Amino acid sequence: MSKFRYIFIGFMLTFLSSWVGLVLMPVWGLGNFEQTPDPATGEMIPPKLSSLEKEGRDVYIANGCVYCHSQQVHPARVRTDIARGWGVRRTVARDYMNQEVAQMGTMRTGPDLSNIGVRNPSETWHYLHLYNPQITSKGSNMPPFTFLFETKKKDPENPAKDALNLPEGFGPGADYEVTPSHEMRALVAYLQSLKLSAYEIPEAPAARIESLAE
Amino acid sequence: MFVAVTVILIVMLLGSVGALFAFSWAATHQQFENLEAAAESIFDADEPIGKPTDNFITDSHES
Amino acid sequence: MNPEKDQQHDPEAIEKSRQQRLEIDLAARWPVGIFIGSSIFWLLLGSALAIAASIKLHDPAFLAENPWLTFGRVRPAHLNIVAYGWLSTAGIGIGLWILSRLCRAPIRDNRSLTLAAALWNMGNAVGTWGILRGDSTAVEWLEYPTYAAPFLLVSFAFVMLESVGLIRRRPPGHIYISQWYIMAAFFWFPSLYFTAHGLLVLAPVQAPAQPPINWWFAHNALGLWFTPIGLGAAYYLIPKIIGRPIHSYYLSVIGFWSLAFFYAWNGMHHLIGGPFPAWLITASVVASIMMFIPVITVAINHHFTMVGHFKKTIYSPTLRFVVFGAMCYTLASFQGSTMAIRSLNGITHFTHYTIAHAHLGAYGFATMVFFGSIYYIMPRLLEREWPSRFLIRIHFWSCAIGFIAYFIFLSWGGILQGIEMNQKETPFLEIVALTMPYLKLRTVAGSLMTLGHLAFAVSFCWMIISHRASTGEPTLFSKRIPNPDPIS
Repeated sequence: MSKFRYIFIGFMLTFLSSWVGLVLMPVWGLGNFEQTPDPATGEMIPPKLSSLEKEGRDVYIANGCVYCHSQQVHPARVRTDIARGWGVRRTVARDYMNQEVAQMGTMRTGPDLSNIGVRNPSETWHYLHLYNPQITSKGSNMPPFTFLFETKKKDPENPAKDALNLPEGFGPGADYEVTPSHEMRALVAYLQSLKLSAYEIPEAPAARIESLAE
Repeated sequence: MFVAVTVILIVMLLGSVGALFAFSWAATHQQFENLEAAAESIFDADEPIGKPTDNFITDSHES
Repeated sequence: MNPEKDQQHDPEAIEKSRQQRLEIDLAARWPVGIFIGSSIFWLLLGSALAIAASIKLHDPAFLAENPWLTFGRVRPAHLNIVAYGWLSTAGIGIGLWILSRLCRAPIRDNRSLTLAAALWNMGNAVGTWGILRGDSTAVEWLEYPTYAAPFLLVSFAFVMLESVGLIRRRPPGHIYISQWYIMAAFFWFPSLYFTAHGLLVLAPVQAPAQPPINWWFAHNALGLWFTPIGLGAAYYLIPKIIGRPIHSYYLSVIGFWSLAFFYAWNGMHHLIGGPFPAWLITASVVASIMMFIPVITVAINHHFTMVGHFKKTIYSPTLRFVVFGAMCYTLASFQGSTMAIRSLNGITHFTHYTIAHAHLGAYGFATMVFFGSIYYIMPRLLEREWPSRFLIRIHFWSCAIGFIAYFIFLSWGGILQGIEMNQKETPFLEIVALTMPYLKLRTVAGSLMTLGHLAFAVSFCWMIISHRASTGEPTLFSKRIPNPDPIS
């Protein structure tokens, strides 16, 4: 047993070194952010998620949106994120502090969503896109999320106010109406809240935004 | 939560204390000698060096 | 002087070591067999989910009506099943068997290991159900919800107890490199899982700190769990099959420690360019390049051990799979080191190229080595031969050709995707369109791989059910052995 003991101590110590570097140090360095006031408006930023937005985040997680969409804007010298309009500046660690669950992602089968709330605030667009991405984005390989909508027969005297205006060829037909479920509303509220690099923060004050965007 | 992190850290540090001493002990006390014998330790009298131990029924040598 | 060499001509010693080996294999029959058999079930389920996910990427309306089958759930279900249902389960069985052989000690506690296998399977079943239901944890590579974790951790505790017992009962003398690798893997894996599940799911740290811990876990699941078991198996089976000791044991020791130290620091290379301190990313980039050291030592060792014996891959299925796997290990690791270089990463990050790379490691290396290991182990456990050479050939060639096609098509598509993503004028939907043919080819390639898995599963079940006993000794497939090469 004696020789094995030293091998054991050895491989656990090498493991510990990485634990200190890649677990402990991030917790110490990246795990204690506090809100700061926005120089422009005085409000505390980044804002915390409302309870509806948190529900929406849970829908995002449950349906695995992260496997195609990232939420991190890279600097202009590295990638074309800023040129594509995905953010006015790179995202920094502080931007995520109130997300509770980081969904930074590692795949871009679809575009980055860090600032989708700025780039695409229209509820209607999101409902159509999520009902069937082919409506707004022909050729997309994003799946349709019809199961997050409710379909019922239309009552001509009392049509639903929030029924989707589906184009020809999509949806169940003229006799039916499609409305977003509560989960879908929550999801869109969450997407609209995604404005991760829209704020001026101590690490990236407005004066530097111009140069980063080059 | 910081308590949890600190506790785990202390436990892992305690569990690994002396590893550097253990290493230098092992190195100076000939734990790394006779590596050739170590390589041969997978063989024994019944499956000795020189005897392949995997064959498949082959009528001919097709892949 | 090797005492074992003297015993080659001593009939009593030969008989004694034969009896010992038979006793070990007999004691392993049920516990190792049940882990391996379970793993094959998960392999099939994982393959089915893989094909579904692959089709969805070029045909997004496929099976899209049911929330349980939406791509965002099928994809992590596939990943977790192949990681914890196929690879981990097979890895436990293979690891236990190699430990038992090398410790010259029969596995003792059948009852607790049977319970362990049942719990492990339950954990995977519950975890998969949880993901498809919508309870994913949102942590990549760790998506099984918390309620699946106790099954896995209790099961693994039993496996560790038996492993420590085997180590303690080993004869005095050398601890072989495979024992180092397997024991290290058995201790590293629960440490990883426990830390990651604790700090990311149970009592989550603040969001900005989560991705480093996530990718410390995920990358180490590959490098400190699957890799050491795969290497441990290769280091045992290659020399054992060809009847020659490993080329340089000294190199293998260097390989082990450099793997242990450098691999664990690699994780942040999944986050290059992201919102993290530069020192953190750079440390991982450096560690990723340093990985050339352990990988080259392994490559040299295996190559020079095999030199002059490559013809044996004609008749030994195990050797064929294991050598293919070991070569993929070298390729995957070299590729991974290059992908950590910032300029190249600028093209490949976020693309299908990364997925192809992941499969080179988890499939080309780990899965193929495990296939080979199972081909060696099962006849020795059951004292029966594999029933059909034809099925083995289908298995090997479907998987090898299918995987090579998978890798080439998906990598190529990924590079084109990456190049175009870096052209700001290229509209995003155009990038999606250009990946389509490669995604379709990936489905074809993956289907070929699945055909191989089906052949394997049929082989396995046939062998279990058949009552045909081997006519030769259990450790040899046939008395009609091609002339063994003399020791060089």
